[in-house]
Parts: sequence; structure tokens; C-alpha cells
Amino acid sequence: MTTMNRRDALRMLGLSTLGATALAACAPDASGGGAPKGDTAAKTFGFTSWSLNEEAQKGAVQAIVDAYATAKQVKVHTASFPYNEYLNQVTLKLRGGQVSGAIQLDISWLGALAAMGKLRDLSPQAAKGGYTEVARSSGQFDGKQLGLPWTTGSIGLIANTDLLKKAGVDGLPSTVEEFEAALGKVGKLGGGVVPYAAATKAAQLKDILPWMQTFGSPLLNGEEIAVGDDASVAAVEWYKKLYDAKLIAPDVDRFDARALFAQGKAAFYDDAIIARGVVSSQAPDKTLTEKMAPLARPVLKAGDTPRALLWGHVIVVVDGEGADAAADFASFATSDTATVAGFFEKVKLPPTTTAGLADPKVAGDTFTTDWTEKITKTATPNPFWRYAGYAQIESTIAEQVQAVLVGQSSAKEALAKAAETAKGLQK
Amino acid sequence: MNARKLSDGQFAWLLMIPGLALFLAIIAYPLVAALVTGFFEQSLVRPGRAFVGLANFADVLGGDFWPVLRNTLVFTIGATLIPFVVGYALALALNAGIRGSGFLRGLFLFPWVIPGVVVSFLWLWIFNANYGVLNGVLTQAGFIETTVSWLGQPVTAMIAVIVTKTWASFPWMMVMLLAGLQTMPKELHEAASVDGAGAVRRFRSVTLPHMKGIAGIVLLLEFIWNFQHFDTIYVLTGGGPAGSTKTFAVAVYDTAFKGFDLGHATALGGLWMLLLLVLVAFYLRRETKESS
Repeated sequence: MTTMNRRDALRMLGLSTLGATALAACAPDASGGGAPKGDTAAKTFGFTSWSLNEEAQKGAVQAIVDAYATAKQVKVHTASFPYNEYLNQVTLKLRGGQVSGAIQLDISWLGALAAMGKLRDLSPQAAKGGYTEVARSSGQFDGKQLGLPWTTGSIGLIANTDLLKKAGVDGLPSTVEEFEAALGKVGKLGGGVVPYAAATKAAQLKDILPWMQTFGSPLLNGEEIAVGDDASVAAVEWYKKLYDAKLIAPDVDRFDARALFAQGKAAFYDDAIIARGVVSSQAPDKTLTEKMAPLARPVLKAGDTPRALLWGHVIVVVDGEGADAAADFASFATSDTATVAGFFEKVKLPPTTTAGLADPKVAGDTFTTDWTEKITKTATPNPFWRYAGYAQIESTIAEQVQAVLVGQSSAKEALAKAAETAKGLQK
Repeated sequence: MNARKLSDGQFAWLLMIPGLALFLAIIAYPLVAALVTGFFEQSLVRPGRAFVGLANFADVLGGDFWPVLRNTLVFTIGATLIPFVVGYALALALNAGIRGSGFLRGLFLFPWVIPGVVVSFLWLWIFNANYGVLNGVLTQAGFIETTVSWLGQPVTAMIAVIVTKTWASFPWMMVMLLAGLQTMPKELHEAASVDGAGAVRRFRSVTLPHMKGIAGIVLLLEFIWNFQHFDTIYVLTGGGPAGSTKTFAVAVYDTAFKGFDLGHATALGGLWMLLLLVLVAFYLRRETKESS
């Protein structure tokens, strides 16, 4: 048997120590450096997408990746994280130089990622992509085209026309007053029906922002936070009134709202255009999608412009290793007409190019054209998206609106506090 | 120097070097780097940083620090004492040698082996206001007429996270306390019985003094862990409603990963660590005392 003397032990320990020290030296530095470097014309690149983690979409997205890889003889390494953890994961990996290639982003995240200074300007690809103006602008930040628009839509109200009919509501409400009256009628149906499955959990209470705009608040005046003005206070008081009258329910986020709507237990809820696909996959009543109707958010007085939040996905490209190939892939995925029309057919996400929108598969879809006409047409981006810490600004407002809903604070006090905290987050 | 002439003490130090090196690389360096970050204005997404002295600490102390401390203490005390009482009662019952105690011990351990996030999701469905099991059962039984928003009201939300953590924690406490009970000589109870002591008197005068040491350690460790606990609260309430269940762990996470504000997050984390150090000092003092 071989025995080890103390000198051997000393050598081995010395080597172990050296190894550990080297490990420490390789750790990413605190300054967030470490951008991926390498051959930008590489025939292999990465594609990070939360859609690859979602049952309803992963097949369709993987098909685009496979089609591109086969056609261009390249290797695409895919990665995915759940939507709710996606921004954190991508931010940390990008900061540590551990992600490269193309990355799917929600348009609201573009500001945060752009602040890291690691995204490639995709103006050349955008110029020849044939994107609509609205879609193209959703990928711009600080005058640069950092993302190619993959789908552009909006977050708006959806109604269950069958429930409305049962409740005796004729037509879709167009003013806040009519909306409230409709909710009251639906509330009388009983049986656990929530008239409006509005967000009341902090995670999605940002849905109240378009209501604040409906009541006349600009949310942001130049660089000054306008939340806390009379209009936003009136909106929150109205929301609280609905909450107290049980016309909206506690403990609801987007997922709860979808579940309630899919079970025929909610007459209205807020969602993106993706709603139809999600609800149809959950609904026991397979005809529910036929009863779903998008409606313009009711206005305070007839003639006002309905408010809606712009929504969409873009594909950005990390400068460095595989960037050329990744940019070409992003262009293919978002602007190749056959690809975007095929993608729409599978997941019902509207394309962003003029040619894609004109494709019979898209143009012939009544729900999509209705949605575009009634909701997306007047949708605007959230003004807080320009700040890297927009998510915490939204959380701060949401937390204070929750304080109003549970009776801890008045709307005026709560929103004044939210505005004060939000000021410190405008960076 | 002749390596063969190393003393045992020197050799012991050599054995510790790899561990120490790893400690420095994995614990000490990130910890110091994080503490230093508290003195800078630094974003997770923007390059560069600026020295701001104690400004971050002042902001944190002038902001939500005290409500967050209160929430953390309420959660920690509740989620330590309630499972302790439950675990102690079950340990006493199992130690009494009731029929099927082996099976019951295995059964009660079940919640402990389930990952914390899974436990939290299970309870999330139980407490859901609109289609949760709890509301369903209470409505069917006629205890409530309309559903209760357990996670939507500040008081019930805090109770809900404590109940969930209790469910996950009591088995560990039960096992530790049962082990302590099993080291207790039976003769002590027999002698007390002969002297005429009833069950309550024997528990007070024999069991409790014998269990003082192990109970203290179990309580202290659980308190420290709960003081740092994250997953149950994050999954169930995310710190809401209206910040009523926001503890240090959730607040640091939100500041760092929603606001991308590393300076304020690490300042809050630094203050949180200081409080934790007091608890750890208690633990170490107790350990040192017992081993000496």
C-alpha cells in the first residue's frame, strides 16, 4: 500500500490552495464586467427565451429555432427560465458574461437591459424588416434600435359575453359608469362569479395604471411622478369602491384571473392578446373562446380616448460571441413572413411586420383584428419603463394601492407615499 | 524546514488550509464585497459605482427598516414558538410509547422532507381566496358564508405564513426533542411517581429541567433560521398585502432584483446581518458554555 508522508501532504495541500485561489480569481468582479468575447461570425450562438419554458408556446418557438438551424446549418443553444424569474436570471447572467446570442425580452424590460450597455444596435436589421412603426418603436431605447419586435399588442379588457347576456347586460360598456352598472348586474348572478377579475395581488396591481390614466392622470409629467394627483386618487378610490362592493375580488393575479375566466366565473379581466390561447387551454367549456370579446377600456366620459398598455416581445442580441448569427436569427424569427404567419397560427401572437399582418391567416382572424382595432390602436407604453428600476416603482405603487384596498390607508395618503418612494427610484 | 518534523498542531493547520481558502473565496470575499457595496451607489444593471458613505444606511433606517424589522420579528417568533409547542407535544406523545408510534413518527416527518417551495405552493392553493380548499371546507361546514381572503388581509396573511412555516418546521423540532426525551433515565420518572408526583408535576419537575438544554438549542437555531427565512413568504404573499409580511429576506430581494439597487440592498442586508450576529453570538456562547 502506498503511504503519504507529511511532505506529500504538504505538496497536495499547497496545490489545493492554489486551485481554490485560482477559483476565486476567476469569479466575476463586482463591477459587472465580463462581456462575452469571441468570433462574432461564429456559426453557433445562444437563444434564451421564456417561451421555451411554457407549454403553450414552446413547440412553436422550438420549430422556428429548428427551421433556422437547419436552413443555415448553425447550432442554436437554447436556454429558458420561467417568466417571473426571467429578468433576474438574464440580468445576472448578462452581468456575469454568461449569456450570449439572442434573448427574448418583454418590451417593459428593454430599459433595464439596455442600461447594461451590452446589447447590439439592430438598426440595419430593423430597416429591412418591414416592421410597422409602432412595433419598431417598441424595440427602441434612447434612440437606438436594441430589439427586433417579435409580437406587438396590448393589455386590455376581455369580456365573457355569455355571462353578460345571462346578467342582462346589453352590449359592451364603453364608459366607466356603464362598466360599473354592468358589474353590478353580473354581481347579482351569484354562484361565485367575480364580475371583474381585476388584479388585487401586488404582482399584477400595475394593471391599475391604465385606470389612473383613464381618470386623467398622466402618471409621469416630464420627470415628475404624477401618481398622487387628483385623477389617480379618484381612480384608486373607485377601485376600492369596487373592492368593497365585491365587484372585484381579493387575492387575484393574472393567473388567478385567467383561471376564473376559463371556468366561466369572471365576466371581465385584463390580459394580453395571448389570453385566447391560454384561456382555451384551461377552459372546460370548449366554446368559451367564441364568447370572449375584447373591449376598449371604458372611458370616464364619452369621447375620451380609451387607455391601454402597450405589450409585446422583442428579440435583442448581446454584442460579442455569435452576435452576427444571432442577429440574423432574430431577423428571421421576427420578419420572415411564412415564419411569423405560422407562429401566429400556432400561438395567436400577432406579427409585427406589415406583410405578416396582411397574411390571410392573420388578417382573417376576427379576434385579433378586433383586438387591434379596439385596444392596441390607442395603447401606449408605461412611462416608467424608461427607468431601470421601473419594476420597483410599479411595486411601490402596487403596495400602496393594496394598503388602500385592505383599509390601512386613504388613497390620497397612500399615493403620496408611493410617489415619494418612487422619486428615489427614478434612475 | 524538515516536513517530517512538523508538530501535530502545525499539521492540523495544514489540514485546515484548503477549507480556509475555500471559506475565503466563497464566503469571506463575497461577504466583504457585499458589505463594501453598502457604501456605494451601485446598480445591478448600470456599470460603475459612486461612494456615498453612510447615505444608503441612513436611507434604509429612515425608510421601511422598522416595519420590516417588526414583521421579521413577528414571523420569527410565531414560526419558532408554535412549531416548538406542536413538536414538543408530539415528541411527548411518541415518547410515551403509544401504539403505532413508529409509523406516526415517520408520518409526522413527511412535511419536513418536502421542499419548502413545494410546501408553500401547496398552502398557496389551500389559502386561495377564490378557489382555495380552506374556504371550500369552511363554507361547506357552514362556518363562513362568504369566502375569506386569507392572504389578502394583513393579519390573516401573517397567520397564514406562520401556519405554513409551522407545518414545515415542527417535524424537525419533534425529532430533536424526542431524541432529548429518549436520553432521560426512566428511573427519574419512576422515583417521582413513587414520591406521589402526578403527570403534570413530573413534566414540570423532571422532564422540563432535563430538556432545558436541547429545547434552548432547538429554539435558538429555529429562531436564527426563521430570521433569515425567504421562500415561504415569497411564494405565499411576496411580502404583501401592503408590505404586511415583508421581512428582511424579501425586502433585500426586492431592492436588489426589482429595483436593481445593490447599494441599498446591501445596506439593508448589512443591518440585517448585524442583528443576526447578535443571535449567533448567543448560540456560540451557549455552545461554549455547554462544552466547557
